[in-house]
Amino acid sequence: MIADALKGKTILITGSTGFLGKSIVEKCLRSIPDIARINLGIRSSPRRPAAERLEREVLSSPAFRRLKEELGDQRFAALAAEKLAVVEIDLGRDGLGLDAAAQEQMRACDIVIHSAAAVEFDNPADLSAQTNLLGAARLVGALTASGARPHLVHISTAFVGGMLRGLVREGPPLDPGLNWRHEAEVLSNLRGPVEEESRRPEILNKLRSEARSRMGPAGTPATARATERLRERWVKDRLVERGRTHAHAMGFTDIYSFTKAMAEHAVVELHGDIPLSIVRPSIIESSLAEPFPGWLEGFRMAEPMILAFARNVLRDFSGMPDTLLDVIPADFVVNTVLAVAANPPPDSKPRIYHAASGTRNPLRLRRVPDEAEAYFTKHPLRDRYGQAIGTPKWTFPTRGELATQARTAMRFVEAAQWVVERLPLGANVTEISDDLTAERDRLDRGLNLIELYGVYTEVDCIFDTRNVMALWEKVPDAERKTFPFDPALYDWTHYFQDVHLPTVVRMSRADTSTGRRKQPSGSTAPKAESSSVRSAIERRSGRPDVLAVFDVDGTLVETNVVEYFLYMRLRAQPLEDWPAFIASMLRKGPRWLFLERRSRAEFQRSFYREYDGLDPEVMKRLGREALDAVTLRRIYPEGMRRIREHKRAGHRVLLLTGALDVVVEPLAELLDVEVDCAHLLVKDGRLSGDLQSPPPAGEARGALLQEYAERNGVVLSESFAYADSLSDLPMLEMVGTPVVVNPDARLSQVAGQRGWRVERWRMAPGNWKLPMPDPRSPEYLEAVRR
Amino acid sequence: MSRPGAVIEVDRNTPPVLFHFGEGIRLEKLPLGARIVYPPDPLDPIAHPERAIKRALAKPLEDDPLKSLLRRGMKLTIAFDDLSLPLPPMAAPDVRQLVMEEVIDMAAEVGIEDLHIIAALGLHRRMTEDELRHIVGERIFTTFHPDRLYQHDGEDPENNVYIGKTAKGEEVTLNRRAAESDLVIYVNLTLVPMDGGHKSMSTGLASFRSIRAHHNAKTLLASRSYMNPPDSALHHSCIRQGQLIEDTVRVFHIETTVNNHAFPAVANFMQKRETDWTAQDQAMFLATKQMTDIMPPAFKRNVFHAMRAPYGMTAVHAGQVDAVHDKTLEAVHKQINVRVEGQTDIVTLGVPYLGPYNINAPMNPILVVCMGLGYLFNFYRNMPVLRKGGVLILTHPCRYEFDAVQHPSYIDYYDEVLADTTDPIEIEKKYELRFAEDPWFRQLYRKSHAYHGIHPHYAWIWGAHAMEHAGDVIFVGADRDVVHRLGFKCATTLEDAFEMAEQTVGRYPSVTHLRMPPIMLAEVEA
Repeated sequence: MIADALKGKTILITGSTGFLGKSIVEKCLRSIPDIARINLGIRSSPRRPAAERLEREVLSSPAFRRLKEELGDQRFAALAAEKLAVVEIDLGRDGLGLDAAAQEQMRACDIVIHSAAAVEFDNPADLSAQTNLLGAARLVGALTASGARPHLVHISTAFVGGMLRGLVREGPPLDPGLNWRHEAEVLSNLRGPVEEESRRPEILNKLRSEARSRMGPAGTPATARATERLRERWVKDRLVERGRTHAHAMGFTDIYSFTKAMAEHAVVELHGDIPLSIVRPSIIESSLAEPFPGWLEGFRMAEPMILAFARNVLRDFSGMPDTLLDVIPADFVVNTVLAVAANPPPDSKPRIYHAASGTRNPLRLRRVPDEAEAYFTKHPLRDRYGQAIGTPKWTFPTRGELATQARTAMRFVEAAQWVVERLPLGANVTEISDDLTAERDRLDRGLNLIELYGVYTEVDCIFDTRNVMALWEKVPDAERKTFPFDPALYDWTHYFQDVHLPTVVRMSRADTSTGRRKQPSGSTAPKAESSSVRSAIERRSGRPDVLAVFDVDGTLVETNVVEYFLYMRLRAQPLEDWPAFIASMLRKGPRWLFLERRSRAEFQRSFYREYDGLDPEVMKRLGREALDAVTLRRIYPEGMRRIREHKRAGHRVLLLTGALDVVVEPLAELLDVEVDCAHLLVKDGRLSGDLQSPPPAGEARGALLQEYAERNGVVLSESFAYADSLSDLPMLEMVGTPVVVNPDARLSQVAGQRGWRVERWRMAPGNWKLPMPDPRSPEYLEAVRR
Repeated sequence: MSRPGAVIEVDRNTPPVLFHFGEGIRLEKLPLGARIVYPPDPLDPIAHPERAIKRALAKPLEDDPLKSLLRRGMKLTIAFDDLSLPLPPMAAPDVRQLVMEEVIDMAAEVGIEDLHIIAALGLHRRMTEDELRHIVGERIFTTFHPDRLYQHDGEDPENNVYIGKTAKGEEVTLNRRAAESDLVIYVNLTLVPMDGGHKSMSTGLASFRSIRAHHNAKTLLASRSYMNPPDSALHHSCIRQGQLIEDTVRVFHIETTVNNHAFPAVANFMQKRETDWTAQDQAMFLATKQMTDIMPPAFKRNVFHAMRAPYGMTAVHAGQVDAVHDKTLEAVHKQINVRVEGQTDIVTLGVPYLGPYNINAPMNPILVVCMGLGYLFNFYRNMPVLRKGGVLILTHPCRYEFDAVQHPSYIDYYDEVLADTTDPIEIEKKYELRFAEDPWFRQLYRKSHAYHGIHPHYAWIWGAHAMEHAGDVIFVGADRDVVHRLGFKCATTLEDAFEMAEQTVGRYPSVTHLRMPPIMLAEVEA
């Protein structure tokens, strides 16, 4: 009945690059050999023309692997060339942007299957409206205009009925009394006002201050980029929120089902005398058997939840455990669609089919975690030690309770992180901060899942499948094996244990094997230390155009500009003057901390004013003394080794720092490397507290490095940079091998995101010494005389 | 009269014995039958050191009186031992100051203008100004520093001259100023028999090139022990080099010795035998123990390193090197020798907070080995107190602690070399030149206050003989990771250490505790 009916027919499929679309194409090629032609409606993307998309996004999919194996590559290519054709269709444009040839192809179609959709539940409102609602309306419009009268199979979703209770008939979708044209107009034009709103001073300032608090020290360009990223996120979030809220208010679970419902209204209104069938799948999951068991593409609805469950990330979930969760294997949907396509309605009255397990083979919500528990008890996911991860026991609280719980935890974690990031402890709190970030991510993912999917588990309805079953009755026994779509044909335990859950695990690439991993031998023999940086140094050995640039304070030496200042000043003061001096420094402390957090350059400018009026010669001598008393004492031995390794490899070494010349130059001289540091202006033989040039922090540091590289013929992409703070980010970004040393919390996050190597260097223990006044120094004697 | 050293047997009434434990102390009960070796009491010092010095300079051994050697217009250089001696540093005035003041006065009388004073520190670290001032005294320091009082730099390419090879092929270099002087006066302080004699010049004013001739694993393994020059390949080599130096430049040696009064009155209990402790000593011990148990290491270190020893001068000799050194050794032996009969299965030692190379710095793990397996173990003549294959038990906290200024190369040696191997010979093959020629360490040695890059290796091979001789080495109360890195074993308590030792030496081993410091030299008879 199906193969026969489709014999010699030409089919147009939209959305053929999607999961369902390509499944339909595959099934047609494999099981309906006499089909005349399949036209694939594909839009050229900015990166790829439509024909290439067919090759890359459709035919190379694993869905076709079976066919390729059965036929061999050559015959498969021949078959594809014979049966498949690309029609350039752009559902985003009125009239679909068809050229003459495409219009001709369109007119020649006997059947049009519309499966293009933006299926994510959290798409921005405008995107959903454009694709799901207007796309369908435009397709019908174009068909009507072309004069063709093919059988239109519109693929919708079972959830167009909205959040209903009880039995849902295969009838018209929920209609809260809306005009689909008006909805389309409003939703697709939302972006403009939201974009405009995002540029309003109060919003933009808020985003900017957030970007600043995250990236401030990295300099203006980095902060600007961060602000723009935040603004784009903000716009998207607003649009998603608008869509979601609107959909909820209109009685729908999300923007997807809302726009799909509106699309049904549009299609029904516009189709005129075109025969129309609507197929409404419920939640489509991996294939039961075809083209292979577990064929699935992209992570859809249940997969993230199942994985979160198996990883013990989602510790609980909301919903009523006895509600029906309507899941249907993809191949059953494909077969339903083909059966529907083969049975056009005799009149212009649209026919509606639920591709759902519904009443035929009900699945209760509780079954899913139970099946998952059974499966993951047998095949547990593994943590990084290879230990099995236990699964949680869901207690099914209400969504509100769960969300409140998660939000409270989230607020707590965020508060803790706020505090930790602002503590002036630098690298010491990085680990705590990283832990907090991980915990926040976990909560964030959980909250997201609850918000997105929680509502589905509260949809307390049963999809009626009378029309589908009537169609099934018509399928002759001979074809029932080729095109099965009766949900009663499979058993949920088999589906979950043997098909779906293994698929989910396979696709997540999560580690479940015990055999592959060698058991630890228990040897405690020290393992050779390996460093990817070292091997990079060796690889680029003997190249004088390679530079290794080091920050100093915090990267090579455990000090900062404040400590040097304290050392130099305290040393020249009698003990009885210390309290007053320290008190005055403490008073200014909070201001400096604040400035330091916002911008290293501002801090240095402000701090160096403390040098106003000091004698440069004295400072030079004290700086030389500080080399033995502070610098060398607090130096990181690993850092010194690394510098020597670079020198041995023939690289240039540059110390690029905002520290003052008086303290850095002695070190550079000892190390015999180049140095670029801050210099204070001298006025009338006294230091003025003003800098000769802007402090080398943030983008200025990047510019200095760039300048240096050009002057000296350095290849930055092959070079190394070592730094510890966010203000060094522009410098780190510039080189091929950035190495983050003892990062503060913020830089640690950035390094984690970008996959940069992080090293922890430590000063040798037992080297803290209090600076003591030097009673023989002339300044000291002078101070005493005063 | 000062009592000679003693060997006593532990019986029921023997009080627990003191173990030095880094910047701390422990009182341990030894098993019945174990023996404790005590050093002799301090000898009475010379009542008028200045007079004795004058006398020695006027009537030198096998040489002319110093005065007759001095003449106007000559190029005169005084070289003196650095602050690695004595331990702890001597309460002012240092004997070297007394001797040098005498010599300088004499030179001034003659009208010598070209006079340089050089600290003969070999590959040790440069001293700070305060440390230098402490040794030479305020008068000399202000007069001569920095132009004419300075420190030898073994890495200065300009100021080290190659003077030739010994019959055995050992290269010899010498400080240029010393080599070009009409007369070099070497002012020495001998605390242990290892010091002084030809070794003064051949190591103190030398460079890596000449020092590596005898500071190597092979020589050290053939020095049994280096505390007894006749049995020491190290000293034979130094003597060959020294003779070459004496042929090149006229050297007048002045050697002094001090008694073993190492601890000031507050720490009298460390100086005295436990059987002699008075109520006051008991109280001081308890107070010190409490303090060291609860104080942070840095604080304890400051307290301990502030201690100055009330050493008294016991001898001063001047003249020809060999004649002088014989007399000096005689004086040293008189102070520190103890006769011990027979070797034992186990030797226990308390490693103190201070060794020659960590003045004003923590004793890092490598220096602990240098002190425990090096100096303390080697304080013997004839044969070690420990039988071959016996177990050496040491007490020291052995923390992962390094002075970044003084011991930068030690950090790398610990982190990189000892992680690779602990075998002295293998290390020498693989790493000797890398550390000796490292430009960064060279800079730190020359410009800062760091020991030479190769120095950690010398500290390590100083223990090579003990590593080879002992069947096992167990540290009590130490940091486990550190001790494992060093290649030894770690026990929590002394009792546990004895239990562990039984695996090597069997049940009911014989035990000797060497109650040092104050230092002593065990004359072991079979």
